[in-house]
Order: sequence, then structure tokens, then C-alpha cells
Amino acid sequence: MDILFSPQLLFSALVLGALYALIALGLNLVYGTMRLLNIAHGDLVMIGAYAAFWLFTLTGISPLIGLPVIAVLTAGVGVALYSVLFRGQLEGTQSVAQLEANSLLLFFGISVVLQNVMALAFTASPRAYRHLDDVYHVAGVAMTGNRVATLLIAVLVLAGVVIFLKSTIYGLAVTALIQSRDAAKVVGINVSQVQVGSFALGFGVAGIAGALISMAEQISPFMGFPFTIAAFVVIILGGLGNIAGGIIAGVLLGFIEIYAVALTSATYRSILLYGIFVGVLLIRPQGLFGKTRGG
Amino acid sequence: MSAILQARELVSGYGDVRILHAVDLSVAEGGITAVLGSNGAGKTTLFRTLAGLLAAGAGHIEFCGSPIETLPSHVRVERGVVLVPEGRLVFPDMSVEENLRIGSVNARARSKCSKTLSTVYDLFPRLDERRSQAAGTLSGGEQQMLALGRGLMALPKVLLLDEPTLGLAPTMAKQIFEIIPNLVELGLSILIAEQDVHRTLQCAQFGYVLENGKVAVSGTGPELMQTPAVSEAFLGH
Ligand SMILES: Nc1ncnc2c1ncn2[C@@H]1O[C@H](COP(=O)(O)OP(=O)(O)OP(=O)(O)O)[C@@H](O)[C@H]1O
Ligand SMILES: [Mg+2]
Repeated sequence: MDILFSPQLLFSALVLGALYALIALGLNLVYGTMRLLNIAHGDLVMIGAYAAFWLFTLTGISPLIGLPVIAVLTAGVGVALYSVLFRGQLEGTQSVAQLEANSLLLFFGISVVLQNVMALAFTASPRAYRHLDDVYHVAGVAMTGNRVATLLIAVLVLAGVVIFLKSTIYGLAVTALIQSRDAAKVVGINVSQVQVGSFALGFGVAGIAGALISMAEQISPFMGFPFTIAAFVVIILGGLGNIAGGIIAGVLLGFIEIYAVALTSATYRSILLYGIFVGVLLIRPQGLFGKTRGG
Repeated sequence: MSAILQARELVSGYGDVRILHAVDLSVAEGGITAVLGSNGAGKTTLFRTLAGLLAAGAGHIEFCGSPIETLPSHVRVERGVVLVPEGRLVFPDMSVEENLRIGSVNARARSKCSKTLSTVYDLFPRLDERRSQAAGTLSGGEQQMLALGRGLMALPKVLLLDEPTLGLAPTMAKQIFEIIPNLVELGLSILIAEQDVHRTLQCAQFGYVLENGKVAVSGTGPELMQTPAVSEAFLGH
């Protein structure tokens, strides 16, 4: 049982948890404000990872320096998808159920296209690069520089987004739209502006997560799907559209995964993830912290 | 008095179902105009169409002399047409103060948000006491005050009040009716839909009776009190 108290595990759980929280944030924003189920969300993480990979291997520029550019790139993909595919979907008067179903199909298609285009362009074989992988020993924990940086940046970005949502009028408008589309229109919120902003913010943050992941893990065109599943687990655990709940749930899932794998074996990792997914849906579909709002 | 907001042959509804059939109506500048009608007459449909939450199927809406029927709701709010909706529609998980602040999201009101906020707190001391309480946990009457206060935060020129006393205890309803004349003194024009015909016609200068999506009768308060349509439908038993 000693391993449960190992600071090494604690550190790994924090890093993974922060990444899950970061990835789930974008999924939650896009679902919360528009009721779109983005099954391609993990593929944006993949695009961010590839962008970081090529930036580093071609120019030697650290992904950490390139983060703003990578975020803008994936945010741009979000804005393009919104403008071309989803603005029309949202403007047609549809029920929430219809929106959810249609978006699931559309995003499934987008996911397949993104994965295959990337596989064609850069081959399907996994890639990796070495960056900031010197090992430091602090308080009995062996940590690589890139993992420390991942944790710091993830926490900074999460804090930044929470402060933005809580204390600016734009952030308040996002929260308002998540709680009630009708009331948001009543008070004069420019709903389509908030929607495109949510796509940009959510996809931008996913790109940042991908860049961070690429420093420490192998990347491939098909790396995204497990992250999509993890993000869905997180937002269901945290309550759909509940941004703060999602962040807590992300950290929680990171802990569950790291500790469960440590106690059993890495082969159970994906079984665990899907198991939690199904389990939560069966036992507590409203999430641990409650939905912000129903349909 | 000239009209600040005007509906001409306004048609609206839900999908293929027509609810409003060519409604003509004027809201007097600096006055209180009433819309009366039994349940299902189309009052809420009218108000939501004026605010841009429902698209007009045909006809025109004019505000300060320019057509607004094709403008999205947020642009109408920015111009000064503001709805206080039936059922309040406050943001339940946001605090009282956040609900008020988001009320001045439009560009015209945003820079004056803090100043308007203190005006609204003066008008509703109850909200001041509950600034940080989640709106969803307020009583019905407090939520109605919040909805009204949130509407004022937008710096409206015309306020569309859809049954502001619905479900309120008599003392609470009385308070709301006492506040309405103060709003006119602040320079607002008001369109109000209400069940309480007596009180409404006492404070309104002009009223319209809506029946099955059409204006059945219109006239001044005393005139409407006399008409059989009103006295039979709402006053007589
Ligand atoms: N979302 C909707 N879809 C379809 N029909 C609707 C919808 N909302 C209202 N209606 C119908 O439109 C008609 C007018 O309703 P409306 O809410 O405008 O009446 P109202 O005068 O505001 O009534 P009340 O005094 O009860 O508030 C009713 O017959 C109602 O059933
Ligand atoms: Mg109504």
C-alpha cells in the first residue's frame, strides 16, 4: 500500500489531471453554450501536438514559446468549422435532441477526415521528439522539465479561463448562455458572437493541451480518441456545462487513472476509462456536481 | 403623444401555427400602455415578437421611426427595446449582482454599468441585501424584482413588462405597481401585459384588448372600463 503515498504518483496524477481538465474545458464550453457534442475534440489535441512537433523539429523553437501560435491555429480551425458547418445548424430552429444528434454525426465525420488527412500528410507512424527531458529530483520525486512545465502551464491556463469567465462581462455572457439561451437573448447578449468565441477558446485550449502532451508522449494521427473519451467522462462527471465542476472532475479522473493503474496494471487503462464512462452514465448521469441547466 | 414603438399588421407564431393576426399597436413615448387579454390571447407572443425572440412572419415593427423587425434581439436591446419576460428567466446559478451586471451587456449600457447598478439597488433595496445570493434561491417576488432590475440595467427606452406580478402575493404586486410610475419619471415608456385589469387601467393612459391574436378593442383606461368586452371578460363575474 506504500505506493499510494508515493509523491511520485501524486505528481503524475496532478499532471494528468490538469491535462484532462484542460482538454475537457473546451468540450464543456462547446456543449454548454451550444449543445453540440464534439466527438472530434481529441483530434484538436492531436493537431496541437503535430503543430508543436513540426515547429520544434523544423525550427527548433520550443513548443512552450510557440504555444500562442499553436492556440491561434487550433482556434482558427474552430472558427472555420463554426462558420461553415455549425452556425447554420444552430440558426435553424431545432430541438436540443436534434442538435445533439446532428452534431455528433457531423463531428464524427470531421474526426475521420482530420485523422486521415493527418495520416496521409505525415504517415500513421508515431513520432516523438526530445525537449526539456532532463530529470530533476525534488522531495523524492523524479520529474522531467517538460512535465513540470505542463503542470504549470495547464494550471495557469485553467486559472486564466476561470478568471475570465467569472470576472469579465464577456465571461459572464458565456456563463449566461450556458444557463439559458432564451434569457441570454432577452438581456441582449450577441449569441452568435459568444458561440464563435466558445469554439475559438475551446479549440485553442485543446491545441495548447496537445502541444504540452507532445513534449512527453509519442504522437500519432489517432492519438485523439482516448482524449475525447476522457473528456466526455470528465464533463459528465463534473456536470454538463458546469465549467468549475469539469475542472475538479478532470483532476479527479487523473488521480483515479494513475492510482488504479499503479495498483493493477497499465493494460487495464482503457478498460478503466470506458468503465468509468459507462458507470457514471448508469449511476449518476447528472454528474457529481449537477448540470448547470437542462435542455 | 407620439409613438416610440409601433407594430403594424404584425403577424407571428410558432412554426406554421399563426398566433398573432395583423396586430396594430402603438406605445406612447413617456407613457404607460396596457395590453389586456385572457390566457392564450397572444400577449406573450406579441411581446416576444417585439423583442426579437420570435421572428415576425409579416408586418412591421418601428422603433423611434426606423424599422426593427429584421434586427436580432441583441441589437434591439442595444437600441433600447428591452423585455422583462413572463416567468422572469433570471440566470439561476448566477448571483443577483451577476444577473444585474449581465443586464448591461449591450455596448450603450456597459460603460455606465456601475452607476446604473447603484440606481437599481436604490430602487430595490431587497436586491442590495442579497447581492451575492444565487438568483435561483430568491423568492418569486424577489426574482421578479431582479428581472425588472436586470431590464433597467440595459438602459431601456421602452420596457416591455410581460405580467410582472404573475404569481406574486398582493403586497408584492402592489409594490411592483408602485414602482412603475417611477420608471416613467426616469424617462421610460412602458408596455405592460397584466391580469389585474383594474390596477393596470388605473396607471395606463391607453390600452389594447387582445383576443385570439387580434386587437378587439382599444382606448383610454376609462373608455375600456366601460366597454362590454372588458367589463364582461375581466371585471364582471
Ligand atoms: N412555444 C409555443 N409553441 C406553440 N404554441 C405556443 C407556444 N407558446 C405559446 N403558444 C400558443 O400561443 C397562444 C398564445 O400564447 P401566449 O403565451 O402568447 O398567450 P398569453 O396571452 O401570453 O397568455 P397568458 O395570459 O396565459 O400568459 C396559445 O394558444 C399558446 O398555446
Ligand atoms: Mg403570457
